[in-house]
Amino acid sequence: MRYIQDCEIVAHDLVAPDHWRMRLRSADIARAAQPGQFCMVEVVETLYPFLRRPMCLSEIHDDGFTLLYKVEGEGTQLLSRRVPGQTCSIQGPLGNGFPIAPEVERHIIVSGGIGVAAFPALARALADACGRPPEVVLAARTRDLLLCADLFRSMGCTVHLATDDGSAGEKAYAAQMLERLAPGPGTRVYACGPMIMMSTTAAVAARAGASCLVSLEAQMACGDGACLGCVVESKVEREGEKMVRVCVDGPVFDAAIIDWEAHNTAYDL
Amino acid sequence: MTCDTATLAVNLGGLRMKNPVTVASGTFGYGEEFDRYFDVSLLGAVTTKSISLKPRAGNKPPRLVETPAGLLNAIGLQNVGIERFLSQKVPYLRKRNATIIANIYGYSPEEYAELARRLEAEGAADAIEANLSCPNVHDARTAKGAVLVSQSCEAITVYTRAIREATRLPLYIKLTPNVMNIQEPALAAEAAGADGVCLINTLLGMAINPETRKPRLANIVGGLSGPAIRPVAVKMVWDAARVLRIPIIGTGGISGAASAIEFLLAGATAVSVGSMSFRRPDIALRIVEGIAEYLKRHRIADVNQLIGAMQA
Repeated sequence: MRYIQDCEIVAHDLVAPDHWRMRLRSADIARAAQPGQFCMVEVVETLYPFLRRPMCLSEIHDDGFTLLYKVEGEGTQLLSRRVPGQTCSIQGPLGNGFPIAPEVERHIIVSGGIGVAAFPALARALADACGRPPEVVLAARTRDLLLCADLFRSMGCTVHLATDDGSAGEKAYAAQMLERLAPGPGTRVYACGPMIMMSTTAAVAARAGASCLVSLEAQMACGDGACLGCVVESKVEREGEKMVRVCVDGPVFDAAIIDWEAHNTAYDL
Repeated sequence: MTCDTATLAVNLGGLRMKNPVTVASGTFGYGEEFDRYFDVSLLGAVTTKSISLKPRAGNKPPRLVETPAGLLNAIGLQNVGIERFLSQKVPYLRKRNATIIANIYGYSPEEYAELARRLEAEGAADAIEANLSCPNVHDARTAKGAVLVSQSCEAITVYTRAIREATRLPLYIKLTPNVMNIQEPALAAEAAGADGVCLINTLLGMAINPETRKPRLANIVGGLSGPAIRPVAVKMVWDAARVLRIPIIGTGGISGAASAIEFLLAGATAVSVGSMSFRRPDIALRIVEGIAEYLKRHRIADVNQLIGAMQA
């Protein structure tokens, strides 16, 4: 079930430089939502900016959900000025969430930067379904941008911090942190972050024989399979098609089917 | 719905539409993508994504970028090809009892003719719209001076005649706005046997990232759509309506009933809603309702009275 609803903004807080957390009320969307799914957010009511912004459902509550986003351009800049009590049109939930597999021995979440937004709901679902919380690698450029550490700890997760500049936790990249945790064939890795971080993380998981699921981000117009704007190249052809749509075929994909090399070339623009 | 459909019906070059609202090819998938938001058979017609003889993978990403009050796209006509269109996409629309305008794309007049012939033979379309104006199927770096078919009146004549000979279904030619005078290609399509023209396809455009100095689209150039292009489209419909005898499907930046009515007043018989379906998936149906409400408010008995009724 998908909804288009004007949802009340319940809370909207700056949580780090340029990073905001917005809680919205919608029992319908919350009830239908799975961890890893996303929604399309109307940032203004006028026609400029024109398109909705795709954002993952970071936390799912009984009466609504939470978005965690970074101000990147005009759209998110305008969104950041909305205040509690106002409403915001939300279309969702959209896309495929993370499969929850309690039979998997070990679950490791690997997050880079704002990619962390994909994971609080997943961590909670894994903790509930598996009886023990997942391990979390939380990596970011610098200390201020390590988000949600306390939230993960409150769920009982072991959190491994890393920063590019060494200002907090280990001075290491996300993929290096994963390597140190020695994943094995019984491990499932969940990655979300910059493309280069996901491709290197997927490579570490593959070498260890671990399965790896990634949550991709793309520019998209409709969020629902029609515009074909958000495609990425896949290594696997399906019915003669090599392109997969991030919106309806994803945003969660098995890392093994993504053609990382083609993607990195395309986005070197 | 509260609309009295009798007052909304139009005749689009031989196709009876229950209301004057369809959707722009490429912005509405094959119709089924929007089923979860509303019953697509309530539209005057569903215009489907351009179909070619063989499936097309389309262009490399990034394929779209947002621009002021609109977007640039370079999808590159990714589509499932005629065989899968017939076996997998048409049955849904037929089951829904939707009116189908099938948009076609080919590399030669013969390919367009073959597509039209197949669609008619299979009962897969109620009308054909020939896309002679997609800006996104050439690589701007290699296809120097790439010419869209509909930038040449001679080419329009040849292509339109070939399709005309292949089908008796109502035939519309979708034209590019990237021309000096829109009346010339529109008249060429009419003279070659088209039952209508669709105005306008996207305007050519590009965007550059100043930080990286790279183009924002992998294809470098793309087609501009959205409310940003609406005034250009309204004028082109007005220009064409003054010289054509065949009807016009007006399209370009329609975002609600008011802007749809602008196109009717400029001379369009029907309108197609494009990029706005990305923002509001049910907007096309809302526009049908909005036009009905407008007629009631202005005490106009028949939507046909609005066509070309601008008071200058």
